[in-house]
Order: sequence, then structure tokens, then C-alpha cells
Amino acid sequence: MAITQQSPRPERVFWTGNEAVAWAAVAAGAEIMCGYPITPQNEIMHTWVRLAHQYGLDFLQTEDELSAGFATLGGVLAGKVAFTATAGPGTVLMQEPLSMAEMMRLPVVVVVCQRGGPSTGTVIYSQQEVMLACFGGNGEGLRVVYAPATHQELYDYTIKAFRVAWKYRFPTIVLSDGYQAKMREALTVYRVEDQVRGEAYVGRPGVPGVARPPAHLRNTYNLEEELYDLLANYTTAFQEIQPRVGEWQEEDWQGAELLVVAHGVVTRAARAAVRELRGEGYPVGYFRPVTLRPFPAEVLRRWASLGGTMLVVESAAGQLRRLVAEALAGYGFRLEGLLRPGVGITPEEIVAVARGLLAAN
Amino acid sequence: MSNVKMVLAGEGGQGVQTVGEVLAEAAYNAGLEAMYLPNFGVEQRGGVSLAYVQVGEEPITAPKFRFADVVVALSHRSVARSARYVNDHTTLVYDSSGEEIDGGAVGQARRILGLPAVQVAREELSPRVFNMVILGAVWALAPAMPLQEVKRAVESHLGYKFAVQPELRELNFRAITRGRELVAARFGG
Repeated sequence: MAITQQSPRPERVFWTGNEAVAWAAVAAGAEIMCGYPITPQNEIMHTWVRLAHQYGLDFLQTEDELSAGFATLGGVLAGKVAFTATAGPGTVLMQEPLSMAEMMRLPVVVVVCQRGGPSTGTVIYSQQEVMLACFGGNGEGLRVVYAPATHQELYDYTIKAFRVAWKYRFPTIVLSDGYQAKMREALTVYRVEDQVRGEAYVGRPGVPGVARPPAHLRNTYNLEEELYDLLANYTTAFQEIQPRVGEWQEEDWQGAELLVVAHGVVTRAARAAVRELRGEGYPVGYFRPVTLRPFPAEVLRRWASLGGTMLVVESAAGQLRRLVAEALAGYGFRLEGLLRPGVGITPEEIVAVARGLLAAN
Repeated sequence: MSNVKMVLAGEGGQGVQTVGEVLAEAAYNAGLEAMYLPNFGVEQRGGVSLAYVQVGEEPITAPKFRFADVVVALSHRSVARSARYVNDHTTLVYDSSGEEIDGGAVGQARRILGLPAVQVAREELSPRVFNMVILGAVWALAPAMPLQEVKRAVESHLGYKFAVQPELRELNFRAITRGRELVAARFGG
């Protein structure tokens, strides 16, 4: 395969998204996956286990997602490039380890394959884990969240997630979904020259306090002011990475009377709908946050300052819409939603709703 | 020519996912744009299992679509479940070996194609290759792709079974050819 030492050339493949994620983790330099099975994430684990045998990497199946998350953090503390993957109720359980990673500024990558909720919901698909991914823990949501839309992006952004996590020391989430996890399409896979390397937080050589500073790793603080000062630093650090980490895509936003906004796999339908309407001469634009956290608000603010109608399209009852509304609070524009929690959205549906809004303008 | 969109629906265990996956992979092998999206619940068997397949020369946008060019529904429940994808452009394929389908549910279809796939599999081949007869039929209704690419895709999915029982290879390939013939017989070519 392309990303191994034996075959350095990029290669075209026809894979599921879960296969793409597992291979991307290997390409990025991941050394261990800790996980607990849950649909639609399982094939990430299955593929990783197969590859782990092949490349001398490690895998630990834990008793639940809490353990999977904490074992992943243990791996990171020991200096390993570690990651986990989960979905639905598993993403809920993953919040405690994610929150600890935020507190201790541990780099960790979590791949989330959204399924229908609440609770067991469906094993199929949704975009209902946006709030969980961005703000699920007790704390301030100091996480980077990528929302890829194609298998190529799943591969590219999984690699990027490792780089970003280990560079900025914020937990980083690749927000996939049941469709992307299980569908097959073509992508190009490639080897990565500068793989991520871990560095041990604990068990380093030398006498602590003599040969090296002691490792002082805390997730508990005694004084409220102590915690406040720490979090002030963290939130500032998170705001500072925004211009470097925040990513988006747009088409024709300038002059758009109707701006269609979507994230993840739904952007594929949104973009197709906008292109169709544009082709018919309608003043329609498209915007897509690639990072849901930090949320890339700049272009949206420029558009919103001109006024117009925004149509947020998502397979949830308004989670992306909430992020948009917060980012654009105080701007005078009309905010509409095509909100279909737990089901896929087609270009045809978006075209129909957009036509209705344009006619009403 | 715009892409061909297909919905394959059957009872869990009937093999529609294999049909969808193999067809999409064959199309990819043949240099076409291809996407396969499975859709089913938590059941291991039973329940209606859907596969969405898109094949053609245009880049594929969304994984789901409103109406299908081809709907293959292999059980009564599957007809009901997939009727929402039928419009006046749709070719509806069903297995005609059993009861006739409820025409009211699919009245809009451009054409309805009953194929005796179960009967042909049982009498001429083996009931086990029923889904390969269906694969042959959807291959006939998809954009042109060479038989060798279909065989290669079958090999990549079922090769492990052929390794144990080599005679299954020919049986499966014959089933695919028969499925294609069933469609050709109905459309005179």
C-alpha cells in the first residue's frame, strides 16, 4: 500500500471512510489506538488492528469508552502518539477524558463517527454530535474540531489532526459520520515524511528536580483564582491559534442574497444545490466551516454585515445553526434552517427550500 | 450522460449490500466515478437493508439523492421502503418468482421489470447465487463497464470463499451472466 515504507508513491484507492481514517492514522505516525467497539466506528478499529499487526503498532481494547479515552491519554503521557475513535453514546462517555486532556493540555486525536441520537438512536447517521464535539465536557471547549466532507478530506484532515494536536496541545476531533464511515468512494493516499513524534510526560530519565524539572501534571487546583489564571491563559492560547487553525470554504458569498451554510458530508449536497441555483442565475452563495471549533466567523461576518438570508442546512435540529447564531450575534440578517435531525439531506431538498426563500425575498 | 443513481433494497441477508459494493467497485475499476452507501439498522438478519449506488462520468456530489434511475426491490417490504425513490424516470426491478408486487405503490415508475431471479437461481444455478443474478441485472442497467471489471470486483469481495471452494467462482460468474441475459431478454438486447 501507498503509505508504507515499501511503496512511497501516492496511490488511488476505493475505500470506506473508516479505512481511510485508520490508514491516515498510520501515515501520520500514530503508534497506538485504544478503543471500544461501537457502530459506525468499528471498521476504524478493525482496520487499525490489521495494520497494527503489519507495522508493529499497538492496540488496546478497553471495557468502555471512558477507559478507551483515559488509556489514550495514558499513552500520550507515556510519549506515544495515541488516538481513539467512537460514536453516539460513546462520544458522551468520551467527554471526561477529553475534558482532562483540555485541562492538562494533552494532545490527543479522537475520531467521532456521528450516529442518530438521543441515546442509542440509530447506528446509521446524523450530525447531532456537533455540540458534544465542540463543547461536550465540563469546561470551555478548548478543542479543535474538523468536519471533513469527502474521503480525501477524511484522510487529509486525520493526518492534520495529529499534527495540530501535537503542535498546539489541544485535543483534536475529526468529526466524521455514519455515511462517511461506511460509504465507499475514491481517494488518493500518500505517505507522510514528517510523522508526528510523541514526547514522554512521565518516566523521563534523570532525577526530578536535580537533572530535570519535575513533571508536575495537574487536573486539580485548590484555589479558584489559581484555576481562573490557568484558564485565562488557556483561553487566550486557544484564541491565538484561531487564525492559524480556523479553516473554511466558500463560493460566491459576495453579493449572495441567500447564503447556504452546511458542514461535513451535508456540504456536498449544499454545494451541488448552490451550483444548480447559480447556474439558473439566482444570487446564491455557499459557506462551509471546515473547523467547527475554532469557528471561522470572519467571512460570515463580512457577509452578514451586508444583510440577506442565511439557510443553515444540517442533519440535526440546529446545532450548527447555534454556532452560526452565536458567531453572528448582533448582525442584521435572516437566519433560516433546513434541519433534518438524523437523516441525510439531498441537493433536491435544498434547492426546493432555497427557491422558496428566494421567492419570499 | 448524467450519472446513474440506484437504490437496492432487500431483506437483511439477501445480499443487496454485496451487490451494491461490487457494482460500485467494478465501476471504479472501469475508470468511472462511483459511490456506494449502505443503510441498515442494528439487525443482523431481517429488516430492510438499502444500498445507494451512483455510477457515471460526472463527479459525485451528495451520497443520497431524491429519486433513483433504478430501484431494485427484492421483497414486499422493500418495495414499500424504496417506493419513495421512484418517479417517472425510474426503472423498478423486482423478483417475479414470488407474489406480484403492489402496482399502486410504484405506479409512477417509467417501467417495471419483473425478473425471475429466485427461480433462475434455484433451478439453473444455486439459491446461494440469487444476489449474483441481481448483480448481473443491475450491471446491465448501469453505465457500460466490462465483464472483467465486474469479475475483478467479485473476486475482491468473495475471493476468500472461492479459495476454499473454487467451483463457486464459475457458479457466481454464470449467475452474473444469467442476470444480464434476463434484462436483455426483456429489452430485446
